[in-house]
Amino acid sequence: MSDVSDRSPETAIDNAEVSQLVRPARRRGAALLQVFLENKLAMAGVVIIVLIVLFCFVGPMLYHTNQVSTNLANSNNGPGAGHPLGTDNVGYDVLGRMMVGGQSSIEIGFAAAILAGVFGVLWGAVAGYFGGIVDSIMMRIVDAMLSIPTLFVLLLMAALVKVNQFNLTLAVALFAWLVPARLIRGETLTLRSREYVQAVKAMGGGASRSIFEHIVPNAIGTIVVNITFQVADAILLLAALGYLGFGIPPPAANWGSMLSQGVTYIYAGYWWLIYPVGILIVLTVMSLNFVGDALRDAFDVRLQRR
Amino acid sequence: MLNLFHKPVRVALGALIASSSLVAAGAGALGSSASASTTNITFALPPAVTPNYIFPVMGAAYYSNVNLYQFQAEMFRPLYWFGNGASPTFNPTLSLAQAPVYSNAGKTITIKMKSYKWSNGKPVTSADVLFFMDMLKAETKIWPVYVPGEFPDNVVSMSAPNASTVVFNLDKAYSTTWMLYNELSQITPLPAAAWDKTSVNGTVGNNAGTTAGAQAVWKFLTAQAQTVATYATNPLWQVVDGPFKLKQFDSTGHTVFVPNPSYSGPVKVSYGSLTLQPFTTDAAEYNALRAGTVDYGYVPPQDSGQIPLLKSQGYNSSPWIGWSINYFPLNYNNPTVGPIFRQLYFRQAMQEMVNQPTDVKKALYGYGYPTYGPVPIEPKNNLSTPQEAANPYPFNPSKSKALLTSHGWTVKPGGTSTCTNPGTGPTQCGAGIAKGAALNFNLQFATGYTYVSQEMQQLKSNLAQDGIQLNLTSAPFNTVIATAAPCKVGPSCSWQMENWGQGWSYGPDYYPTGESIFETGSGINEGSYSNPINDANINATHTISGTAVLYKYENYLAKQLPDIWQPNPDFQISEIRSTLKGVSQSSLLNFTPEYWKLSK
Repeated sequence: MSDVSDRSPETAIDNAEVSQLVRPARRRGAALLQVFLENKLAMAGVVIIVLIVLFCFVGPMLYHTNQVSTNLANSNNGPGAGHPLGTDNVGYDVLGRMMVGGQSSIEIGFAAAILAGVFGVLWGAVAGYFGGIVDSIMMRIVDAMLSIPTLFVLLLMAALVKVNQFNLTLAVALFAWLVPARLIRGETLTLRSREYVQAVKAMGGGASRSIFEHIVPNAIGTIVVNITFQVADAILLLAALGYLGFGIPPPAANWGSMLSQGVTYIYAGYWWLIYPVGILIVLTVMSLNFVGDALRDAFDVRLQRR
Repeated sequence: MLNLFHKPVRVALGALIASSSLVAAGAGALGSSASASTTNITFALPPAVTPNYIFPVMGAAYYSNVNLYQFQAEMFRPLYWFGNGASPTFNPTLSLAQAPVYSNAGKTITIKMKSYKWSNGKPVTSADVLFFMDMLKAETKIWPVYVPGEFPDNVVSMSAPNASTVVFNLDKAYSTTWMLYNELSQITPLPAAAWDKTSVNGTVGNNAGTTAGAQAVWKFLTAQAQTVATYATNPLWQVVDGPFKLKQFDSTGHTVFVPNPSYSGPVKVSYGSLTLQPFTTDAAEYNALRAGTVDYGYVPPQDSGQIPLLKSQGYNSSPWIGWSINYFPLNYNNPTVGPIFRQLYFRQAMQEMVNQPTDVKKALYGYGYPTYGPVPIEPKNNLSTPQEAANPYPFNPSKSKALLTSHGWTVKPGGTSTCTNPGTGPTQCGAGIAKGAALNFNLQFATGYTYVSQEMQQLKSNLAQDGIQLNLTSAPFNTVIATAAPCKVGPSCSWQMENWGQGWSYGPDYYPTGESIFETGSGINEGSYSNPINDANINATHTISGTAVLYKYENYLAKQLPDIWQPNPDFQISEIRSTLKGVSQSSLLNFTPEYWKLSK
């Protein structure tokens, strides 16, 4: 357990004791890994995510296309020599554009999820640890923000603020932290009454020590699982924003905008503008959800073999 | 009579929210399905363009084709109507007055009113014409096609000897064709007996008889017109002389007209109602068309391959070509980039990066034609010259780059070019351009049309070869035309380039002499272009008959590039339900739905 391996002075134990106590922690890690590895969907998800990341970040090094200059004369060509997945309505190579579009989607998705996760964890832990009026105020803020339609606010912000990768990351994270805040607050309410937290208090330890060295490490399972889902949600939200015309403006690309543009030509039969990027979005989000589900199971002690 | 006079009026586009295309389309289609019966005709409005102003004495921000022709003209008919079916000529039959009679060596115009009636039973009289003129004279600065010294300034006095006669005394004699097609064409009689008051409960009388009174009346009516939610219920707007009355209207632009039973024109409406259906995008409209919920719609250029399918669904296809030119203005009075825009070599460099033939072929799928000057080259006419049609500045990237380098700019392809040789000499950047000035500009374009976005992205890419950075943003049509307003040099005159996508369709200046959009001081000369030679050329067309003066004007201006010319799309590729008869598509873009009939 992570609480026995912490380095706080009040838990002074000799090396032999540490050695004995670390063994169960390692065993638990192995059990966690075993549960995860046994989940075939999760493994497939991991493989797909790795492939997609390689596709987006390594692909452009191997498959060179011009994703900056348009060429209207070469627009809307079907798959063929030189363009395995055809060209879009301004002449960009679709395969290369999916790679570039994926970079921004994945970068923003992970960045927003981590940002939201960190902030949400801190918010929830503080609220749960102190309780009382502090908890009430902080969680009512969360409730109030949860009652606001996220997409509506994001569309409004996109109309008012210049859309770029940094702003999009902040905008997505602005609403994504609410769920982890609630989850961690619930965890904290349970953890703060545990003996080791009480012991810290009794020995004069402050709130920050309790939160950062005892509560958060013990809620790591919840955090990791939630961040995984947050990544998937962020990528989906970005795709929705892009689909509605509020993605990063050209020549930057994102999957949602590509899909939106492709749908314009649905009656023209330009399938290469719709299916490839649509499948990519579905695969990415689905894979992240598989991984998240498997992590949740893996962190569930009841499912771990003893 | 000229072969083809046509009109220009800014093609109205407007917009609401740039999104939810398919959903909106479906909703729009479902919403109108019930009304697509034998008694209702549903007309699809252009994408992201909505009617938003009911009072005909309006400012440039509302001066759109949809407001003028699809909305206001159904209720308030202009004094003189232009367009005979598809022919863009004077239409005496639909006009509210006889053709003007000139006397006093051309300096006096006498107009005889016909026996039209308002929907409240009162006749349309000379007083209604003077009521309009009084407000126009009092508020010339807001009138979009106002040019100082021209209409209504050139009407030095006016009178109404009796209820059916109007007399205008002009400051000098003008070309009778130009006066009818470009000046008198601006008049819309308004119901003085109902509107000539300064408050809701005010006394109706000759309040507009003085300048101050006319301003007060205009202010009152403008305030009423800005309350869009009451358009269908405000008693003011129910007094009409057109074939329709407004039954429903909401802020999305969804409009339902019903016949005006008192309409005294030659043809009465034969069906129950006319619906103007708004759409946010052309794709949304096409979905509604496929669902069969639109009687008179259009197919987007990118879906033109579906025309045979639509034929099998009972629609007849007919391209609707407007008497228009397409361009986007540059703001010459922008304090930062205005001095750059004032350099002809720079405008040439930009123009030579616009590949119009490719744009027409790939973005418009052939449903359009290039703009090379101030007179449309399509529909075929005898007013555009061979010089203009030959394209003075064809696409030529190397020449474009050379123009910049030969005028003191250090060109950085893919980067940002800067002025390294400031000054006013022939090889220097030009007046007002400092050393280090960068070719970095903002361009806002209208949402809704796919081809506009394609063309702007291509232009950005092309200009990057010259090191000209174009920062593209998009906004609804109404926002774009409201932003593109003439302004004086100063910090607030901050817009740089605005592209609403469809330039100018000639009207009510049907004869394409260009004073409304290119003469110094015109209310709708967005970029404040000013050129004394051009002004003189324009003014010559006002007083000298014949095409020679027009040719001189257009040949000069085509090479001066007051704006950046861009391809002109067909107004729309119309899809008309086969059971809808009596439709004629005027190149002036006005329409006469009272002639439409639904057959089984």
